[in-house]
Amino acid sequence: MTKNRSQVAAFTVSFLLGSCLLLAQQNAAQRNPMTFFVTSVPIGDGGNLGGLAGADAHCQKLATAVGAGNRTWHAYLSTQDRPGKPAINARDRIGTGPWYSQKGEMIARDLAHLHGDTHELARLGNNLNKLTGFTEKGETVPGLYDYADPRDNDWEYVKTTPFSNRHEMLTGTQPDGRAFTGTDLDYTCDNWTSNKDPDPQQVQTQGQGQGRGGALGAAPGRPNAQIGFPDRNGGGNGSWNSSHGTRGCSQAALPRTHGVGMFYCFAIN
Amino acid sequence: MTKPHSLVAMFTVSLLASCLALAQQGPGGGQQVPPAQPGRGGGQGRGQAAPRPMSFFVTSVGMGKGGDLGGLAGADAHCLALATAVGAGNHTWHAYLSTQARPGQPAVNARDRIGQGPWYNTSLTQLGQPQNAIISQDLSELHGDTLIQAQRGSNLFKQSARNEKGEVIHGVGDAPPVQHDILTGSQTDGRAFTDNADHTCNNWTSSGAGSAQVGHSDRIGNMNASWNSSHATTGCSQQALESTGGAGLFYCFAVN
Repeated sequence: MTKNRSQVAAFTVSFLLGSCLLLAQQNAAQRNPMTFFVTSVPIGDGGNLGGLAGADAHCQKLATAVGAGNRTWHAYLSTQDRPGKPAINARDRIGTGPWYSQKGEMIARDLAHLHGDTHELARLGNNLNKLTGFTEKGETVPGLYDYADPRDNDWEYVKTTPFSNRHEMLTGTQPDGRAFTGTDLDYTCDNWTSNKDPDPQQVQTQGQGQGRGGALGAAPGRPNAQIGFPDRNGGGNGSWNSSHGTRGCSQAALPRTHGVGMFYCFAIN
Repeated sequence: MTKPHSLVAMFTVSLLASCLALAQQGPGGGQQVPPAQPGRGGGQGRGQAAPRPMSFFVTSVGMGKGGDLGGLAGADAHCLALATAVGAGNHTWHAYLSTQARPGQPAVNARDRIGQGPWYNTSLTQLGQPQNAIISQDLSELHGDTLIQAQRGSNLFKQSARNEKGEVIHGVGDAPPVQHDILTGSQTDGRAFTDNADHTCNNWTSSGAGSAQVGHSDRIGNMNASWNSSHATTGCSQQALESTGGAGLFYCFAVN
């Protein structure tokens, strides 16, 4: 009787363990390698990323830490045209796709799908959402209403509260994935070199969104960056790459609209 | 005798549970889960103006007969009944549904049935003052009538697309049953289909044969983010709707 029972137990355990491992292995084998992620951490100096080179290096470093350093990683960021420097479009920096999340789901088939280049594609949208917009570690980015937290605009609090809303990704980009051109207004924290905030007197008087923490968005003399949401929830629209601007470019200013200075990284090969 | 047996059983169960967890997550999962908290209202920020009357909701329940809603009239009556139950019966409510052209019957476009906007979801009191979210300013923004509007999208998303009781519709990744397939019978521009195939469960009268076009209230699924035209159902029975993550829910808009 005892022997019989322990045989059953042994069989049950080995069978279950075996099928479990098999399932896990299959999961790994079928997965498309990661070619897209959201940075799990910001660089930490607000909108000063050390330019595109600094941002790309951050992507590469984070990818390398999870064993994906064999690819060339670029940050999804535009820079604006400035005297002697042409604009750079984020969409021109990320290869041709398809791109896959850390868990292997396709984000978009190609550049046209990602950006909605035709009217129908734009209305349909791409497959970047809260359940595919993972960090390089496979974490979901905390978004709108995940964690009701009255201090989620305060960097001193947000930086030690990993569940606090931080869904704004720096892009400096228009919805079509291209740079803002022909304007002196700042959409890129001075091409990702500035951690400055606006003059406090200007904050209350200019631009859209006169809500808590002052106005946001591009306005004369206002350091600012355009952002989008991987969870597509917020900002009066669901744009993943160009929803609205920030209240400044310092690390403390970014959380006032629910970002911390994270951005998208794409493998170009 | 009994005790070792139950120990084996317990171990087996826990092994099975961790196996399932592993299979779901895949390698590299294991992320931290925040403490459970009620979601906030659908507002854009705290400290905004007093909420507007609710003029948009997702039906909290379907009508129970799959794609047979009793036509547009039956669906509109369902909207009104649910709205009335939460004290919002003083508006004229229309279901966001298209019907297809049939002999003697011109097509009806869902977008032509819902007034001009702006539309707001139900107001909630969760953090501070009651507040509600705008769903969209107007028909053009709601449907992305210009390319840039389409690329941006409207403010209809998982956290704003609440039912008349203020609850979020369960979507991909939430506890089952997932109910994010929302009946529309519409193309992405909010208009009826013009081909001969069935996209409306025979103009919302069939609970058997046919198919209906659905959108996703969480804007997740089928490799797109469409709220109103993501994919077709596999049939029109209640069971068929449920098999792809639906419950026969639809959008209701106040036209006044």
